Amino acid sequence: MMPYFVDTLRSLFITMRNVLRKPTTVHFPMERRVRAERYRASFALLHDQSGEELCIGCKACERICPSEVITVDAEKRESSVTGKKRSYAKAFTLDQNACIYCELCVQVCPTDAIVMTRTAQEPAFHRQTLCLNMERLYDNERTQPLTWANASRLIEMQAPPAKEPAKAQDNADADQTGQAR
Amino acid sequence: MEVEVASSAVSASREISANQRPVTNRSPAKTRRGDPYLDIAAYDPEADLMVLNLGPQHPSTHGVFRLKLYLDGELIVKAVPFCGYLHRGVEKLCEKLTYVQLVPIFDKNDYVSPMMNEQSLVMAFESLLGVEVPRRARYLRTLLAELQRIASHLLWFGAFAMDLGGALGGGSTLFMYCFRERELILDVFEELTGCRFHYNTHMIGGNRHDVPAGWAAKVHSAIDIIEHRLIEYENYLTTNRIYLDRTCGVGVVDADLAMELGITGPILRAAGIDHDLRRDAPYHAYDELEVRVTTDIAGDCEARTRVRLAEIRESVRLVRLMIDGIPEGPLGSRKPIKTNLAEKSERGHAYAAVESPRGELGIYVIGGGANRGASPYRLKIRSPSLHALSCLPYVLPGHVVSDAVAILGSVDPIMGEVDR
Amino acid sequence: MSPYLRALIYSLVIITLLLTVTAWSIWFERKFSGRMQSRVGPTFYGPFGLLQPVVDGLKLLQKEFLIPESADRALFVLAPPLTVILALGTAAVVPFGSEVVAADLDVGVLYILALGSLTTVPVWIAGWASNNKYSLLGGMRAVAQGISYEIPLALAALVPVILAGSMSLTDIVNYQIQHGWFVFWPPGPGFLAFLFFLPASLAEANRIPFDIPEAESELIAGVTTEYTGMGFGLLYLAEYLHTLIVSAVASALFFGGWDGPLLPGLHWMVAKTLVLFAGIFAIRWSLVRFRSDQLMGICWRYLVPIGLGLVMVSAIWVQLAKASAQ
Repeated sequence: MMPYFVDTLRSLFITMRNVLRKPTTVHFPMERRVRAERYRASFALLHDQSGEELCIGCKACERICPSEVITVDAEKRESSVTGKKRSYAKAFTLDQNACIYCELCVQVCPTDAIVMTRTAQEPAFHRQTLCLNMERLYDNERTQPLTWANASRLIEMQAPPAKEPAKAQDNADADQTGQAR
Repeated sequence: MEVEVASSAVSASREISANQRPVTNRSPAKTRRGDPYLDIAAYDPEADLMVLNLGPQHPSTHGVFRLKLYLDGELIVKAVPFCGYLHRGVEKLCEKLTYVQLVPIFDKNDYVSPMMNEQSLVMAFESLLGVEVPRRARYLRTLLAELQRIASHLLWFGAFAMDLGGALGGGSTLFMYCFRERELILDVFEELTGCRFHYNTHMIGGNRHDVPAGWAAKVHSAIDIIEHRLIEYENYLTTNRIYLDRTCGVGVVDADLAMELGITGPILRAAGIDHDLRRDAPYHAYDELEVRVTTDIAGDCEARTRVRLAEIRESVRLVRLMIDGIPEGPLGSRKPIKTNLAEKSERGHAYAAVESPRGELGIYVIGGGANRGASPYRLKIRSPSLHALSCLPYVLPGHVVSDAVAILGSVDPIMGEVDR
Repeated sequence: MSPYLRALIYSLVIITLLLTVTAWSIWFERKFSGRMQSRVGPTFYGPFGLLQPVVDGLKLLQKEFLIPESADRALFVLAPPLTVILALGTAAVVPFGSEVVAADLDVGVLYILALGSLTTVPVWIAGWASNNKYSLLGGMRAVAQGISYEIPLALAALVPVILAGSMSLTDIVNYQIQHGWFVFWPPGPGFLAFLFFLPASLAEANRIPFDIPEAESELIAGVTTEYTGMGFGLLYLAEYLHTLIVSAVASALFFGGWDGPLLPGLHWMVAKTLVLFAGIFAIRWSLVRFRSDQLMGICWRYLVPIGLGLVMVSAIWVQLAKASAQ
């Protein structure tokens, strides 16, 4: 019978000790935690420095998306900045209802056009609100903080070493006894 | 059923256990096997037994899982499990998606430990395609897997306490504590990959995200806090008399039953069989690390808890060994993903297995499928939770409903990988 | 003033105060449990979330009280108010001050034990009337637990009765004011009786660690599974009310009731009650629950024999005290 009382007191001691600690939660949504630099939550399409839209409507992101949430309509028209004819995306829809936030679309973009943002989309009452179209994606570029990752940076991080002189190559090979089962 | 647990055994759980030494001084128990195919009509002609569905909607069935119990009062006479409520057709989906696209989908298989899923998948693909993985990537994958193991076991521990004590009560207190510690690990993952959960950080031939500056310090502080708090949890729950009454001698899965049903992981090790893929069939960086495996011989819920807590400690030790010594080098041996059809294969086959927190998670892949060979032809997932759940019809009869919940919690099924 | 009028006024005042304190105990529990779990509790409604019980009450009121089609209508609707009535009835004999008691019965302790055992009945009714296997299991467990734990409860409550020589709670408190609180003097039986009174009353009130009738992880919501809206609210309220009254009774029986220096008696009584109440909450959020057979084992194998021993020890004490006084 005694062990019950003793163990109760020990458990009580631990919980009471926790009462005196500072709580670890924050008052969301009034306070929000600072997210990491690479945190990926929503999407944005980018312009480059001259104001030109980076997206060329190549549909690489549409092809790679595992959930098939991206729909791109491409067109060719004159650029308002350089005057030359190039391809654009006429309509770009990204459905966040089904997106799995895998970052593959960011990885494959040849022009670093699509990136992810660090703040999540607010919850919505209608499905359409979570469906991002081009206007909202370009809005996100201006209004939301962007993650660190875009296609060039990811590729730079992941790339195997460039072709080196033979001596260094032999040393590198000695390390790479990659063992896949 | 009062079982005296010697105090030396209790304090032994605070030290890191060595290979092959059981942590308790209790004798190995035999499962009182129930009959899963009991003919209820013959057993109970007057239909006195009550049929209770621990139904798909239940606060503690660990996902959607239906357990049909035939009860004599509160005693379970026959238990029939029904899974499949979370079947999403992942294996069929694998025939349509390409190798590159499958990795983020597979995060959702065993949704509590995504690193293991991705790791086993890319290992299978690398084996099929004949791709070598550079040393840095192998090391990083191992490190992430061990961190994920800590996070998964912490989640399990909180959920198990909730099963024992209720969402409004002592169990939820431990649940909150475990999640507080787990957030430290999830923050670490967020620094590295950008997502707290479901990372998509593995790719065929290496990893996609490299270690940012200051990451090692964050991992160190997270690990230190977790190791410190584990002692607090043990004082709080695992030495509590009420908890010991609820879990000692309950749900004994002995070695014979585990071997017959193909159960691996902590359940097998708690039954006394010393088998851990990290040590017996090492992959990635495990051949450089000496993984110390904990076994227990009692095979009941308390033994499984001990084994899992010891595994957390072991993972903490391994992470400490690895975190400061990640070798330099490239992160991938293939070109980074630029198109969907980057990897193609002919008809060949490969099997790769990792030691997930639940057991041996294996992927068997036959290549040469759709998209001109860029998709697998067939992919089969060997999920440890499915085998673990199959022990329920044998173990549950003879226990009461409260025990059923405790046993289900300690078996740690994740319905995502049971139903795929 | 006519004694009936006096009783009526005191009853209404005590009932109102008890219900208000119970409502704000919901706030206290959520804040306290939040702190124990490393988080803050409600903060949104009112300063420090103090209006949370009001909002909870409004939320429950505006929900539809669903009666399942195959449920026993009369019993289903009867059970929640019955729990509250019986719980409140127990408070009639609890003395909150030297003259502040609704009805100073000669057999106060017996009345409390009787009503305490009756509180099991509406829980059982709710379990039966819901026509739901989970509720039925919860109700049956509640009956088994309730009738088993009445015995240690009665034995533990018998110790102050024997020591004070009267079953009236006012007399017990007066005795303690003269001779010292029972939990400290006589050393031994009083403290042990309190240690057994507390678990036994927790079991009567279906609180963790004895809350298998409403075990949320096993029986969804146990007895209260089919109840929505204010029916659920009343059952929930009755559990808190029962706990509050049990702490009031314990502080009267063991901790000297309104005894205390400086402050008026009412303040001391309230303070002691609230301290015990907070302690019961702390236990709730710290422990996992027992299994039903282990719970019965504790009652019949430990509490009952030791309780009988305690009663004998206190009887011997009283005889020795009388003999030495002569």
